[in-house]
Amino acid sequence: MILLKNYNPTYKTMKTILFNPFKKYQENTLLAIGIVATLLGSFIGYIFFTRFDGAIDLHFTPDINLWQPFIDNSINIATLFVVLFVLAKYHNKKTRAVDILNAVLIARIPYYLVPFLNINNTISRATDQMMAIVGDTININMAAIPLSSLLIISLFALIALAALVWYIILLFNGYKIASNAKGSLTILFFCLALILAEILTKVIIVNFPY
Amino acid sequence: MSKLPIKCPSCEQHLHVSQLSCLTCDTLISGSYPLPKLMQLPQEDQDFILQFVLHSGSLKKMALQMEISYPTMRNKLDDIIEKLQPNL
Repeated sequence: MILLKNYNPTYKTMKTILFNPFKKYQENTLLAIGIVATLLGSFIGYIFFTRFDGAIDLHFTPDINLWQPFIDNSINIATLFVVLFVLAKYHNKKTRAVDILNAVLIARIPYYLVPFLNINNTISRATDQMMAIVGDTININMAAIPLSSLLIISLFALIALAALVWYIILLFNGYKIASNAKGSLTILFFCLALILAEILTKVIIVNFPY
Repeated sequence: MSKLPIKCPSCEQHLHVSQLSCLTCDTLISGSYPLPKLMQLPQEDQDFILQFVLHSGSLKKMALQMEISYPTMRNKLDDIIEKLQPNL
């Protein structure tokens, strides 16, 4: 099975497309796909009441304005781009801005699929039902939690976690190709940059309500 | 065509050319000649350099023809440059 995976060209191509498209596709193609995906993803966020309120954050909300997911994504993309570009330039002066921008734009695509889980406010309703029960921290009646809510939230958590992992793998692969970074410290610096971007985006989005 | 070995299979050190021959008059030259820097690179890197020269040094053209992204190509070239640096 392992041998088959190693030598099957279709498997390799699919793996490249899903996890490392930066290796194969030219910058113009990636940029076009990234911009279209960001616009579509932001609109999907609006339709399904989703705020992208952090570099690696996503929350469902009862009220939303059309421009909010668009501004959320603009802040997330700009912050991630600046943080990763500074780090990449420090590592390799030849790093091009467009390659880092493409890494950020393409990596966020898995996150734009998560709002679909909130069709008809399914997740919001399940969360509200559960919070109404567990919100009473003194007398939590676990048996009162509807099984359907529990299943919906568990499934959502699993899918959201998978999207997060996919997002980080794409971002890391894009960053690595853009900067030609190697060595064990690369992962450490990348993680620190991601945490810094998350803090910065949270601070910006929370302190400048729009 | 048989592959030119560049490293000793026993101790992994770079091999030297110890004999050259003329296929026309059978003249043999013996000595100890180090392989040129480029020939000490792995075959894959030598092929890359050949393609690079054939594409007039345009990584963009190479990337388009080989269906590989430009930064992947540039990284490959940077890795080769690092291998060719003296004292490395």
